[in-house]
Amino acid sequence: MATATDSHPALDAAAGSMHGAAPHALRQPARRHWRPWQRQILAALALLGCLALFALARSLAASPGFDADWTLEPGGGVVLERSALAPLQRLAGARLEAIASPGGESLAADPLILLRVPRWALDDLPLPRWRQTQSRLSALLQQDGVVLRFDAARQLALQPKARGYAGLGALFWLTCAAALCLCLVAATLLTVRANRRNALYAVMAVAQALNLLLMGIAFMPGLGLPGWLVAGSPTVPMALDLITAAAFVHSVTLYPLLLPARRWIAGATWLSMMLVLLLVARSAIGLAWAWTQAGVVGCGLLVIGLLSWAYRIEPHPHAVLMRRVALAVQASSMLLTGAVVTAFARGMPAQSSFASTALVWYFFLASVLLLLPFLSRARPKSYELAMLAGVCTLAISLDLLLDAITGLEPFASVSMSFFAALLIYMFARQWLLDPTSRTGVLGSERMFENVYRTIREVEAQPHQSATLLAGLLRDMFNPLQARSVGQRPARSLVIDDGAALLVPVPGIEHHASGEVQSSVLLRYANHGRHLFTIEDARLTDGVVEQLRRAVAYDKAVERGRSEERSRIAQDLHDDIGARLLTLMYKAPSPEIEDYLRHTLKDLKTLTRGLAAADQRLSHATAEWKSDIGQRLAAAQIELSWSFAYDRDVVLGVVQWSALTRVLRELISNAIQHSCATHVDIAASLQAGRLRLSLADDGIGRDPHAWSHGLGLGGVRKRVKLLGGDVQWAENGHAGVICTVLVPDINARQ
Amino acid sequence: MAVKVLIVEDNPVARSFLCRVVRESFSDVIAITEAGDLEAARKQINLTGGAQGLHGVDPFKLLLVDLELPDGNGMELLAELSQYPATKIVTTLYSDDEHLFPALQCGADGYLLKEDRFEVLVEELQKIVRGQPPLSPAIARRLLTHFRPGGSGDGTPHDSGFNSAGAFQSSRPVPIEKPLDHERLTPRESEVLTYLSKGFTIKEIATLMGIKWFTVNDHIKSIYKKLNVSSRAEAAVLASKQGLV
Repeated sequence: MATATDSHPALDAAAGSMHGAAPHALRQPARRHWRPWQRQILAALALLGCLALFALARSLAASPGFDADWTLEPGGGVVLERSALAPLQRLAGARLEAIASPGGESLAADPLILLRVPRWALDDLPLPRWRQTQSRLSALLQQDGVVLRFDAARQLALQPKARGYAGLGALFWLTCAAALCLCLVAATLLTVRANRRNALYAVMAVAQALNLLLMGIAFMPGLGLPGWLVAGSPTVPMALDLITAAAFVHSVTLYPLLLPARRWIAGATWLSMMLVLLLVARSAIGLAWAWTQAGVVGCGLLVIGLLSWAYRIEPHPHAVLMRRVALAVQASSMLLTGAVVTAFARGMPAQSSFASTALVWYFFLASVLLLLPFLSRARPKSYELAMLAGVCTLAISLDLLLDAITGLEPFASVSMSFFAALLIYMFARQWLLDPTSRTGVLGSERMFENVYRTIREVEAQPHQSATLLAGLLRDMFNPLQARSVGQRPARSLVIDDGAALLVPVPGIEHHASGEVQSSVLLRYANHGRHLFTIEDARLTDGVVEQLRRAVAYDKAVERGRSEERSRIAQDLHDDIGARLLTLMYKAPSPEIEDYLRHTLKDLKTLTRGLAAADQRLSHATAEWKSDIGQRLAAAQIELSWSFAYDRDVVLGVVQWSALTRVLRELISNAIQHSCATHVDIAASLQAGRLRLSLADDGIGRDPHAWSHGLGLGGVRKRVKLLGGDVQWAENGHAGVICTVLVPDINARQ
Repeated sequence: MAVKVLIVEDNPVARSFLCRVVRESFSDVIAITEAGDLEAARKQINLTGGAQGLHGVDPFKLLLVDLELPDGNGMELLAELSQYPATKIVTTLYSDDEHLFPALQCGADGYLLKEDRFEVLVEELQKIVRGQPPLSPAIARRLLTHFRPGGSGDGTPHDSGFNSAGAFQSSRPVPIEKPLDHERLTPRESEVLTYLSKGFTIKEIATLMGIKWFTVNDHIKSIYKKLNVSSRAEAAVLASKQGLV
């Protein structure tokens, strides 16, 4: 039993990753690593369990008996089916009349001597008579020899021998193994964290372990049962079932959600189960069976109802998963009950077949119980094992039902039930495993698109990367909640038993404050219908890593590009600039000199646009103002300047250089041609809409008659490049006014 | 006695143009020495008493240094001449702060843009010599960053977003020692710088602050000096760290 030992990799890894780094602020209480004393306690408990089982097996192996299989005839006779003993082999098929001792004491062969599991007997048999028969049988087998009297006056004297370990039957050892597993899982959970939830689980596990063990002992081959088993049946197994059911209800009030009226619900359940137990103890066998089944089925329905309620209060994905498991158990239990009732009503006498059907169901229940603590992190194989047990229960119950209802040939009913079970299994498997399957709700194409889009956005707004990543994760997992938290694990963590996923956001930093540790917490995948799995965490890590890499790559490319641009700008500036400067110094006339100066300034704007990154509007306006002020002052022209903006936007290189050159051109025009004494520049930027007007009080009139030379054509061209419009008009009684309108300054970024 | 001027400029046409500007600017008798590269300039300076200018011989009173020279950057010369008792002016085609600011840090008293008109250059040169250096909004912004507590002089914004290594980037180191007085600006100086960075002219700033325009000018001069001193202190710290001193 691997789970019990400390070195179990899955459990260790799960304990480490689930609890090791889980933030304190979250619901998961702190649980770190295995401590040495915990290992020692577990080892001691495992040893104790093995020793107890060994002691039990030893005492059973020492009990006397003889190796023979018996069946019940439809008429109620006990018939010898087969035996390994040579004298008995000859008598196969004979009907047993009585068992007698050498001393003359005799026990008539009654169907009661074959009734091993009264828990699953529906006849209203008087319990005292069964107990008496069984104890007399045991007493006879204890004696020095027995005489078996068969029909037709045949009889055989035999010496009962100790059964031996091999004589206990394979079923006994199987139930022992299952019981040990259950007990050890419960012990592990309690050692790891002793709380009420785990204690209730331990109650369920131990009760079912005992139940299985009792069934295993009852199914030992040969006649005769241990006296203590006879004394305890059927009340003890029924009590164990009722306790399990009540503990299940109680635990559901605590997990996945602490239900509002949990004390009342749990108290009422325990009380009513005790009442049922009281009734069971006082009733005949058949009635007690009915009471027990009613109690168990009632508890199952209550569990399903409570889980639905919990899910409505808070959509914890465990509620869905547990409800589905509970539904599966409940459906199989009801099918079993129905099959047994139907078979009994149709007069099928073979009550041991009821018991064996029930035994398969108990195995199914045990496998579900083994699975419960590991719902979110179980390997798929353990689910498959539980489902295999479930499908066996289904097949056997169906077989019993078909047998009873249709009275088909055994082969036909077996194959029919087998196929039906297979069919149901195929559908139920998908349905049951759905919450644990990959939570990704996107197709791979959509996913790729989203990752790509997010990369672009993160690149454009690096400060928003936490928000953008949260958005991407929201699309990926469709959780109910996604928020930023302060902690930062090394990699993505599944926490709160799969209800939440903690994803670190790489390398987000803010100005001045340096690195800010942050991560995104997602709760309740796919609106609480899915559990986050370890695979989800790894997928998320992969996506985040891709995002980071892509952005880093893009940045490197951008850096390379800007280096290249700077180099070109430097060359242009140094070579062409120096030549233009020389030309300018040697200019034959002031007009040509001005023209060259203008060209040189344009070249400088061009190279700066190539080399520089984007500029803030406030910085650009300051420079424009200072530059224009100097130029106008040199030309003895006054300047009135106003630039109003609602937001200090960042101008792209295109916008900046276009606006710079438009302004320069207009100012040059005013200086050279207008003979103005005053220039009024007023600009405003409201919600991306730029309005710029430049008015002078010079001699220029009737702008429509102007021949648009290189200068004004350039202005038109650049304003058009920005997606705007420029107009000239006469300005009052002197000069002209030029108005530039750009509807959306960021349109051509 | 003639006022000695050194013009370091590789382009002969530009050199003669600058000579004209210098002659036009001052009424004194001017003796202009021309140098086409750093080497020639160093030679000339050594003839007049070396970089420290302490030999009692007649040193240059005015230095015009081009930034882009065939055998190096004019800033090298400026850095060597940090103690030289002359008005040092950078002449350049680059008008952006990224080129000009380091030159100012190296001890330049002002800058002239070579593409400006003759009259403008004459006026600017006179202003610098009179102690009214120019200060563009971009350079004012750089100065503000430079003198801001914790600012490290280079005003480059922090890189942000996903960093390439994936590892955490440590925050910038913060000096434990308080900045010395010469590294700090007075509130008035900060105010002047802030206005300048917003593109206001000196006249406008004087009106806005309710002071005389030459007071604004004094502040600008003082800022230049502080930049100079703090840069030199920075260089000294750097040098001692590298074991040069």
